[in-house]
Amino acid sequence: MYRYDALDKEFLADRVSEFRHQVTRRLAGEITEDQFKPLRLMNGLYLQLHAYMLRIAIPYGTLNPAQLRKLAEVARTYDKGYGHFTTRTNLQFHWIKLRDAPDILASLAEVDLHAIQTSGNCIRNTTADPYAGATAEELDDPRVWAEVIRQWSTLHPEFSFLPRKFKIAVTASVKDRTAARTHDIGLALRRGRDGALGFEVMVGGGLGRSPHIGSTIREHLPAGRLLSYLQAILRVYNRHGRRDNKFKARVKILVASLGAEEFGRQVEAEWAQIDPASADLPDTELARIRGFFAPAGFEVLPAVSAKLEAAKAADPALARFLRNNVHPHKASGYAIVDIALKTPGETPGDATAEQMETVADLAERYSQGEARVTHEQNLVLPHVRLDDLPAVHEALKAVGLASANANLISDIIACPGLDYCALANARAIPIAQHIAQRFADQDVAEDIGELKIKISGCINACGHHHVGHIGILGVDKKGEEFYQLTLGGSGAEDAEVGKILGPAIHASRVTDAIDDLVAVYLRERQPGERFLDTYRRTGIAPFKEAVYAEVH
Amino acid sequence: MPKYIRLAAEGAAWADDRFTAVPDEESLPPGDVIVSLKRFLAEGDALQAEGREVGVRIAASEEIEDLAYDLPRLPVVTVVCPKFSDGRAYTTASLLRERYGYKGEVRAVGDVLREQAGFMVRCGFDAFEPADGSTPEQWTQATRRFRHVYQRAADHRPPAFEERQAQDKAAEAAEVKSHAV
Amino acid sequence: MKALTANRLADGEVVFWSHGRWVERFGQAELFEDDAPAGEAEAKAKSQPTVVVEPYLIEVAPIEDGVAPVAYRERLRALGPTNTPDHGKQAEGGHDVELIAKAAGAARSGGRVNLIKR
Repeated sequence: MYRYDALDKEFLADRVSEFRHQVTRRLAGEITEDQFKPLRLMNGLYLQLHAYMLRIAIPYGTLNPAQLRKLAEVARTYDKGYGHFTTRTNLQFHWIKLRDAPDILASLAEVDLHAIQTSGNCIRNTTADPYAGATAEELDDPRVWAEVIRQWSTLHPEFSFLPRKFKIAVTASVKDRTAARTHDIGLALRRGRDGALGFEVMVGGGLGRSPHIGSTIREHLPAGRLLSYLQAILRVYNRHGRRDNKFKARVKILVASLGAEEFGRQVEAEWAQIDPASADLPDTELARIRGFFAPAGFEVLPAVSAKLEAAKAADPALARFLRNNVHPHKASGYAIVDIALKTPGETPGDATAEQMETVADLAERYSQGEARVTHEQNLVLPHVRLDDLPAVHEALKAVGLASANANLISDIIACPGLDYCALANARAIPIAQHIAQRFADQDVAEDIGELKIKISGCINACGHHHVGHIGILGVDKKGEEFYQLTLGGSGAEDAEVGKILGPAIHASRVTDAIDDLVAVYLRERQPGERFLDTYRRTGIAPFKEAVYAEVH
Repeated sequence: MPKYIRLAAEGAAWADDRFTAVPDEESLPPGDVIVSLKRFLAEGDALQAEGREVGVRIAASEEIEDLAYDLPRLPVVTVVCPKFSDGRAYTTASLLRERYGYKGEVRAVGDVLREQAGFMVRCGFDAFEPADGSTPEQWTQATRRFRHVYQRAADHRPPAFEERQAQDKAAEAAEVKSHAV
Repeated sequence: MKALTANRLADGEVVFWSHGRWVERFGQAELFEDDAPAGEAEAKAKSQPTVVVEPYLIEVAPIEDGVAPVAYRERLRALGPTNTPDHGKQAEGGHDVELIAKAAGAARSGGRVNLIKR
């Protein structure tokens, strides 16, 4: 993991003192709410329905035990004992008081955490593969590049007042666990024909009110030229992105209106004029950053653990957990463990202080001091020895985190929705809870297999509904909660925007509709097909018929 | 004479504004003036031939490239920030300094607030007409708020990675010296 | 019928106007039958920028045994999030909370007066 040195710590201290000063001025009435709002937003502080919400950045989703314990401490001291992991791999506290915010940020700074650029029209937290450094699939460690981007974008003087927010993702595997093509910029590490490391650069993805899948504007950017190329893209966007209409201000709209080819041409023209010596990072600095992500020292272990096999044979719950939540690691004798924050009936993405502390302990003892946050609102222990899996499973079970449903129908993404958010039109959490409870039978869920349900409480699409295999969007119909279903979306390497199934249905009908959709899949599927594959083969008609048949 | 805030090494201070900023629809007063890009492109040569100094006002939507050829003879370019949240001015200033090596004054006008001070100075602005009644002391304070920066910019402040390298070199030198003793 | 609501600046707590002061429970909110006094109260509230943030009027309508905010969003503000019944005002219980909670389903979106989305 990247470690802050004295410089980084001084920078954070300066940021905290700046914000403390601003809060004091606001409470004293020296600045108005209109003037203060952009300042608090730049520190991740929103005013929501019931209280302030503080969004804390978790850079590329990586946490160490001290950070997790600190988050738990903040949850207990300043919130109601829990936090909410988001689809941006950040953590939100929903019950924050403005007068406490500077103290909270000071406390977080002790473990190198902050809320910088978790809101506002700037470059947000970079998404990276949560399996980075652990999966055998990757060409390079994407966190090296995410950290390069984090530092470069921190209080970037030219790009802190963009037309709209700006999100970047970095992946280095064929399997995309970052939803790269739904980001403003998606960067996929690839080897060139000569073997040189470079990025495929995808631009103009995004969800929200007009969803777009990113277009590739460069097949192979030499890796060392990353920052100058980002500068060129951001500069074209900063100058030409629309500022007259908030809903047309994201770069996806500029890319769509110019065409990806023309946008790419403008970027290349700008890039050609940028001096690499001043814009790109020197190799020495790249090497310094890379040093922090040096492969962990893995023991040489047998590929099969007799201890694990024995435990698995004796404990069906462990066997199920292994089937669904445990994935191959690049080092023999190790595994990657998904911790699903999706116990049916609970709030997706929520973790209590006690749960955070347990994960901190497990990361420290069994996972080389690292935990990750995924954009699917789950946690990951990236480096667990096979021998330790039974102990990890037991410990997770003790705090209600052993839900063996990663990637299954009850592993649902949901934004906070109208229960908390000032922008929402309808609730998302209760819908997720109801569906998850309907499919709580693990055998049923496993039989259905991979099925990604994603729920947003409004068109801003924080719940990524456009790219759910089944997407659910809350709409307000004369004050009642209705939900529009979409089918066939994907946020993975086969990214696609889902298609609207039909007219929005009442809240009380949503779970039954999901049941209907699943029944069609189980009826129509061919061997080896996931829900998404069957949908792609059959098209929308049989699904539509099943859900709307009773209406006719 | 109207005042504006001018940045110098020792901090920001009030300065007398010898230029008159002239809107397009008004006729020109005598003396040094700041005119719009459009007016400058039409009348600039004639005005300069009269022996007066002429500065140019760039709107957020205008491209600094259109002025590139004339920059060496301009004492001041004012860049308009129509709204606090409109960040185009930062790119304009960065291009002026970094791409065109402009050495004259780059002045921020419009919705200019002291909260932007740090960003503006880093992009090469060195003069400000604040809209929030802020003082040079406040601007000095705001520009010095952060002891470190993370990226190279028009102000040539060494980013954190260069500071670290310098520290490492100093430490090495100290080590060599202590061994020599 | 209208009520006047805001979030308190220092802690974000949902508050309601009641005869010149702010109270935390909808049950204690002053109800305005006429627009004129409601507007006067709103103007007074807006002159307290260091006490509350963005005060606004909400529609209130009779329900069985009492009154409730019309908009579902406002009911949630008066109660707390539905996924955690032990958080927010609903945690304390009380007659007003029970009334609003029972009235679910009768909400409509027309109940927002000059709503500011933040």
